[in-house]
Amino acid sequence: MSAASHGAGCGVVLGIVVVIFLQQVSYLVLSDLVPTIEYLVIGAVVGGILGALVGWVLGRSYLARQSIGETTPAK
Amino acid sequence: MRFRRPRAKQAGLAAAVLAFAVVALLLNVPAPARAAPSVSSSTANFVAGSTPYATWNGVDINTASTASSALTIDLAQSATLNYSWPTAAGITINDARLQMFYFGFAVSTRDVTITPAQRAGPVSLSWTPLSISYVLEGVYRLTASLIAPNGSTMWSENFYVRGDAPLGFVALLPIVLLVLVVYELYGLVRSGRYATIGRKSTAVPPASPPTETPPSGTQTSAEPPVEKGPPPSGGSP
Repeated sequence: MSAASHGAGCGVVLGIVVVIFLQQVSYLVLSDLVPTIEYLVIGAVVGGILGALVGWVLGRSYLARQSIGETTPAK
Repeated sequence: MRFRRPRAKQAGLAAAVLAFAVVALLLNVPAPARAAPSVSSSTANFVAGSTPYATWNGVDINTASTASSALTIDLAQSATLNYSWPTAAGITINDARLQMFYFGFAVSTRDVTITPAQRAGPVSLSWTPLSISYVLEGVYRLTASLIAPNGSTMWSENFYVRGDAPLGFVALLPIVLLVLVVYELYGLVRSGRYATIGRKSTAVPPASPPTETPPSGTQTSAEPPVEKGPPPSGGSP
């Protein structure tokens, strides 16, 4: 599992949870099935893409930090 | 040399294709089917002044026909609905029904059966929306309907209510969702550490020096010669 795929997994869950949370705080109406599924799918897709991007960026920065740590000579 | 894709990449590609297909299917649902609720308001068959109506604790439900104008209620408190319809409406009713919808399904239904069937109302219905009001809150669609003895819906009206938690803050489900959001955000922030694992799994092993083919007739001492004879028999009994 890479950093991007882990971030995408977290983003998908976040997107779905945020949609349900917005209904609970009265920002969304989830009474009808079809708009509800649309909201959930859109939340999952958008969350997955954003999560993958964030994971990818964090993974690159983590690897950069690791490589700097490896190349720095021990004192 | 044949290049083999990592399994994670194939799974990600399959997930992306699946998500794209689901979104495309949902966007292809005909617009009227998406826009119309499962039970729509049906008042077109009545002449002016004879249209049935209903009140929620004295407030006409017609004033809460959109989510932005939803009635603010306490989900744990009992509400009284009054259905009224004049004789001029020309309908005979034996069931007054109220339903609450969530994810397209009726999560709560209340019926008042009128025996014998009446050609004019009022009919009163007392109802507590949710007995588990500490769990849920938010905006919900309700449908009030009048049903004839043959089971057909003669009149129905959709309206919205905004249910508040009894404690005045949040209910159990929003708290659980907030905890989930925080946990997943923490997982997202820590996802950078998975880069090392991804790199290890996809790393190409260091290239080994090309093995030189020994000239025919010579044997290296490291490898024993392959015997051409029959395979050894099984172990001793």
